[in-house]
Amino acid sequence: MAQDYTPVPASKDNMGKPVARYEALQKVTGAKIYAEDLPVPGRPAYAWMVTSGIAKGRITAIDDTEARAIPGVQLIVTHENVGQLGKLETFANGGLAITEVGPLAGPEVHHDGQPVALIVADTFEAAREASYKLAISYAEESPTATFGDAGATEKALGDINPEYEPIRFNDAEAALANSAHTIDAEYRTPIQHHNPIELFSTTAYWEGGRLVLHEPSQYVWGLKHSAADLMQVDADNVRVKSPFVGGAFGSKGAVTHRTALAALAAKRLGRPVKLVAMRDQGFTHSGHRQETRQSVRLGCDANGRLTGYDHRSWEFTARTTPYYNGGLDKCAAMYAFDAVRTDEYVVQGDRNVPTFMRSPAEVPTIYALEAAMNELAAEAGIDPVEFRKINDTRVNPVNGAPYTSRSLNQCLDAVADSFGWTGRDPRPGSMREGDWLIGWGCSMAMYPTQMGPSTARLIVRRNGSALIEVAAHDVGTGCYTIAAQAAGERLGIDPQRIEVRMGDSRLPPGPISGGSISTASVTSAVANACDRIVEELGLSSDASTDERAAAMAGMSEPEIEVLGRWTPPGMGEDALQAMYDGGVRITGGNMDERTMFAFGAEMVEVRVNERTREIRVPRIHGAFAAGHIMNPRTAHSQYLGGLIWGIGSALHEATEIDHKRARYTNDNIAEYLIPVNADIGEVNIVMVPERDDEINVLGVKGIGELANVGTPAAITDAIWHATGTRIRDLPVRLEKLL
Amino acid sequence: MSDDHDRFDNFSRRTLMKGGAAGAAMLPMGARAQSMSAGGASATGPSVQRIEVSLDINGQRRDLTIDTRSTLLDVLRHELELTGSKKGCDHGQCGACTVHVDGQRTLSCLTLAAQAEGTKVVTIEGLSDEDNLHPMQRAFVENDAFQCGYCTPGQIMSGVACITEGHAGSDAEIREYMSGNLCRCAAYPNIVAAVKQARTEMGG
Ligand code: FES
Ligand code: FES
Repeated sequence: MAQDYTPVPASKDNMGKPVARYEALQKVTGAKIYAEDLPVPGRPAYAWMVTSGIAKGRITAIDDTEARAIPGVQLIVTHENVGQLGKLETFANGGLAITEVGPLAGPEVHHDGQPVALIVADTFEAAREASYKLAISYAEESPTATFGDAGATEKALGDINPEYEPIRFNDAEAALANSAHTIDAEYRTPIQHHNPIELFSTTAYWEGGRLVLHEPSQYVWGLKHSAADLMQVDADNVRVKSPFVGGAFGSKGAVTHRTALAALAAKRLGRPVKLVAMRDQGFTHSGHRQETRQSVRLGCDANGRLTGYDHRSWEFTARTTPYYNGGLDKCAAMYAFDAVRTDEYVVQGDRNVPTFMRSPAEVPTIYALEAAMNELAAEAGIDPVEFRKINDTRVNPVNGAPYTSRSLNQCLDAVADSFGWTGRDPRPGSMREGDWLIGWGCSMAMYPTQMGPSTARLIVRRNGSALIEVAAHDVGTGCYTIAAQAAGERLGIDPQRIEVRMGDSRLPPGPISGGSISTASVTSAVANACDRIVEELGLSSDASTDERAAAMAGMSEPEIEVLGRWTPPGMGEDALQAMYDGGVRITGGNMDERTMFAFGAEMVEVRVNERTREIRVPRIHGAFAAGHIMNPRTAHSQYLGGLIWGIGSALHEATEIDHKRARYTNDNIAEYLIPVNADIGEVNIVMVPERDDEINVLGVKGIGELANVGTPAAITDAIWHATGTRIRDLPVRLEKLL
Repeated sequence: MSDDHDRFDNFSRRTLMKGGAAGAAMLPMGARAQSMSAGGASATGPSVQRIEVSLDINGQRRDLTIDTRSTLLDVLRHELELTGSKKGCDHGQCGACTVHVDGQRTLSCLTLAAQAEGTKVVTIEGLSDEDNLHPMQRAFVENDAFQCGYCTPGQIMSGVACITEGHAGSDAEIREYMSGNLCRCAAYPNIVAAVKQARTEMGG
């Protein structure tokens, strides 16, 4: 059954060329392309963040005598001497701050690991040593760690966001009561941390009144404006450089305390300051995926047609800042339900604030829906692939808005074919090999297609070369590469002759790298720039690429420059202005008129050792359809990463918490388990061609957050198929099967 | 392995997980650094000690005065502007800082810089020159064996060693011996493909 593995697949219908990454050479030679590696003027000082040793209470005294005595220590900043910093809004209020609480805002401690001091020294070693010597006394209170702990307070989402409306579509209660088969189950998902391999760092220096920041960022224009607000300078006097990001997954979008602390220290010392949050500090510094509880009731009739669906979710969040993901409206759009009821809640405790993590809403909620779909299919005695096909829909049942395209059934067929699904005996425990119990499971993958405004400056030259400039971001996704491809394809220029500049706030603004919006948004702006070039060249819009190339070669000027702009249909022009002001505007997914999602289907084989209960995933297959694929090479790698993230979510990843002290106990990447090479067996990805002319200029759907959605439901179903045991509490580790 | 190598912490996350004993190998170096220090710091007082070292990095001799506590990784990154080696954890857990010390893959975050004296250190910057990539670097490009690229220098240095150690015999063996290098982008199958391709070219 093992298949030949092809790391770089060929193009199929409606796909671009699998060209190598723009920056591939730099990445294999160790070039200085990441923020922390960029040169600075002069010898930097090194900063160390001191973080709180308690989760709740207040600082009663700070004695820095011993810390100051460490040779090389230049500066110690605490709430007592931080001075006045500007205030940032959080996401919920239109800003980018990760928390309502400002850097070193006061003696109050709101969560374990809160930054309480910054020590800056001539060397990293001295700053670190001084951090051990800084004596901080606390008056400690008993904190609330997570669900079920004393002091946890529950609120309905409507109490936090007056615009939130739970779904009441027909009478779900009656529909469930009249069902032939029903499922009523609670699913639990754990705390997870992004843990990009690149640590969270900020390097800051001042050139007169101008602040320069080197910080890995998913939104350099947003960070520029936020830093300006914090430091109370004009945004034009702040520059953020982040040419490439060493992994983000959502953790480098919000503005954390370290930006202002580094900028402040650099100002006071008059020299560059480098601040790196260490791996353990990263666990409390830049958010996480919050733990959730999902309660699902789902019914179908005797023919397997879905009837009622009732889904309630609880997310655990911070007392200070009730960040939440929500997202049950997306679950409600997935199948042809007769009636839907949703309710969403947050539960608050003394924790750091969660943030987006790769498919933030979808990972927990779709896991619950898809697990329930698998359980109900088994209950009804219907093959789970067939069960999904029976309940396919062309519209969002809740509002009737049609899908612009939806290829779930094609994906199910493609993955079933590649995996060999027809060989599956539906009875649990029916397959084994020696000591290994074998199970097969499947699930749907989905992600809303979202977009935001973007600009792109394009310069084309008579000599046949070109330059694209946009402050978009490459977090490993291939954004430079596909921008060059988008322009190359439209203008008949070899992408190799197109220089691309991104990740610098001096460039024209591009969207936040979040919500999988970059490809659709940036290529749409690049396409607009190309159209403007064609106009400048005096060509008609249907001129062939050869004609375009010839016109460029015959230009009277050595080069022409245009600024492309794109705002998603239905978004006002003010959205573009908002981006210029560092704001975030995203549209897509469930709309009033249209429903926009990418789909996939996944199948896994799980082996559980009968004696040790060790769980292995020898093979996983996924088929995905996401409109026009710009580059099958980079797309394949994103799907690959997504599937493996799905395996991690199902079997490995969880941040453990000490209930008494509300402190993460495995805050390192040896004990926070992520898949390693030896955990991964056969991975096979099928790219199903799909065309969507309605969705945006190039017909592109975002794919970075597609493949890790649903995977845990496929794996838990496979574990049930192997063992007969239903585990509804992620991750599934062997102790849960004992 | 010659006696010289005993001074190095040639262990990976895997050997750490296999047994705690390997962790003890780190300790003796502290004693060496102390004995070489000119400083008169007392046991309780401020403990900065500077030390003169002469390192052989990528075939170049580098004479430096460093803090005795400096790791090889921090000296590469902070003093020598060789930022290709990455810090992903500073604790020997991720492999992003992997370099070659006398041809052996070594976690530079767990190696005091002073320990590297008298050895040949090769970093990603010294593996090849721009016009003439190492087969492993070429294989990483051709197999798209990365996304963000942050783990990549460490993966490439480990990949080369995996082959020279003779641990690239099968897919399963490559997976096992590349498991000390975490890739959060999860390019693992492409990394295995790259190591296989390079193995053929390197004659491993
Ligand atoms: S930085 Fe050395 S192993 Fe992670
Ligand atoms: S390529 Fe991003 S961590 Fe490996």
